[in-house]
Amino acid sequence: MPIARQTSTTYEHLTSNTHAVCSSRAGVIWRPMVCWRRRASFCDCYKTSHVTKMLMGEVMREAAFSLAEAKFTAGDFSTTVIQNVNKAQVKIRAKKDNVAGVTLPVFEHYHEGTDSYELTGLARGGEQLAKLKRNYAKAVELLVELASLQTSFVTLDEAIKITNRRVNAIEHVIIPRIERTLAYIITELDEREREEFYRLKKIQEKKKILKEKSEKDLEQRRAAGEVMEPANLLAEEKDEDLLFE
Amino acid sequence: MLEGAEFYFNVDHGYLEGLVRGCKASLLTQQDYINLVQCETLEDVKIHLQTTDYGNFLANQTNPLTVSKIDTEMRKKLCREFEYFRNHSLEPLSTFFTYMTCSYMIDNVILLMNGALQKKSVKEILVKCHPLGRFTEMEAVNIAETPSDLFNAVLVETPLAPFFQDCMSENTLDELNIELLRNKLYKSYLEAFYKFCKNHGDVTAEIMCPILEFEADRRAFIITLNSFGTELSKDDRETLYPTCGKLYPEGLRLLAQAEDFDQMRRVADHYGVYKPLFEAVGDGSGGKTLEDVFYEREVQMNVLAFNRQFHYGVFYAYTKLKEQEMRNIVWIAECISQRHRTKINSYIPIL
Repeated sequence: MPIARQTSTTYEHLTSNTHAVCSSRAGVIWRPMVCWRRRASFCDCYKTSHVTKMLMGEVMREAAFSLAEAKFTAGDFSTTVIQNVNKAQVKIRAKKDNVAGVTLPVFEHYHEGTDSYELTGLARGGEQLAKLKRNYAKAVELLVELASLQTSFVTLDEAIKITNRRVNAIEHVIIPRIERTLAYIITELDEREREEFYRLKKIQEKKKILKEKSEKDLEQRRAAGEVMEPANLLAEEKDEDLLFE
Repeated sequence: MLEGAEFYFNVDHGYLEGLVRGCKASLLTQQDYINLVQCETLEDVKIHLQTTDYGNFLANQTNPLTVSKIDTEMRKKLCREFEYFRNHSLEPLSTFFTYMTCSYMIDNVILLMNGALQKKSVKEILVKCHPLGRFTEMEAVNIAETPSDLFNAVLVETPLAPFFQDCMSENTLDELNIELLRNKLYKSYLEAFYKFCKNHGDVTAEIMCPILEFEADRRAFIITLNSFGTELSKDDRETLYPTCGKLYPEGLRLLAQAEDFDQMRRVADHYGVYKPLFEAVGDGSGGKTLEDVFYEREVQMNVLAFNRQFHYGVFYAYTKLKEQEMRNIVWIAECISQRHRTKINSYIPIL
């Protein structure tokens, strides 16, 4: 029956399409590649930032101690330094980096201009001041790196949350909905097929009954001699219409 | 000046000399330093300092105790003592005291000039000035627009005026780098102080002149060392060397030509006093730096000044020793508070 065939193909078509979806009941397999890559770079970020933070602690401690050393030799130069601040010598540029579809800002530092504090501590403590400058420069560089890592960490975190939400929504809302629709369609189709089947059966029964009835009738009429058998061309020996024999 | 200071020194200055010797006796000893080094927290340091002459100077401090609070309080104590000496002094000791304060005044003036030029509030800067270098015209600094104005209006009244005139003879104040100005002022100050002591003659000259010569030479060495690798030209460098030391004139000329530490060392080798000092300098990060060696020598000379009587050098020596003690205590306190005890014994021992 053409109609039944059509519905069955639709049914198959649907199942083949959502087969992958249904396997999401296992959970892991379907998560898109993007999600996994983001997670990996997220873990990397976290590890690196942890290491950098520990290093930062050490470097800052070292720098603070070299400040104490410089103060011991050179006296209190803090006011002089603070007063002579004009332009920044170390600046940062922000660049965009694309990791697994997420744009992350990356900061890189560059030097500009000369050291306006070259002659500070000329008469006392110049060596210690130079060491101090080096230590704090290192600390600043580490800080910039840490800032990059931190921002990428936060951005990746956001991106992963969004992706997770999407995945969860699809897994727990969209897919069940489609599955329910699928189940409904299947039941409908089943029912219709059953109806069809039942209808066919009924028709056959009715036909049988009709046939029996008509045969009975025929028997009766034959028995009563009302039925004229039509001439049997094959059984006939003599043909009236033949004139010459 | 007539010789024989022991005849009339005590008339004018005997009381103060006695006082300063009493103060010197209360400087921290080696045992005190050992106790301080073993402290675990700044509170322990405070407790230990209470047993010394410092007494309860930190009693009114609120928690938490920081190193800068300790430093400020110690400095206040030193200033009180110094002001007491100064207020009770007669000429020529008062002029001597004025010369002593000039070095702090130079620092303060540089700070004020900088601040005034950058239109910062005078009050903020006044707080940061060294109390020993206070002079009456300090608040009037913000009326000036340029350094020359500043000089003509304000500084010409201070004892620093002659030092500025030395600097201004070559170029106006406006063009000078602030650090170069500071060093030039200090050079003229040192030379003037030296001349004053020499003219005074007597035991004062015998004690103070070597100390000031050492100071001049030390500045020459340190300036040379710190100017390697900077854009300071050799001629500029030479103008910053004080000429009242042993290195003048030959050594200073040679130093001006020096380009690295070894050449400097060779210059020092010509002078019997400086050769052993340079030999005591360790190389790299392990040993003592040149500055440490110089500090030790300065402390030594200052302590020796107390072996003679009837001279003004005791006041100078006491102030310098007290400052070194303050630096030592601050160093130990920093090491303790930053929990970085590896170099805690790098203070300069005094007694």
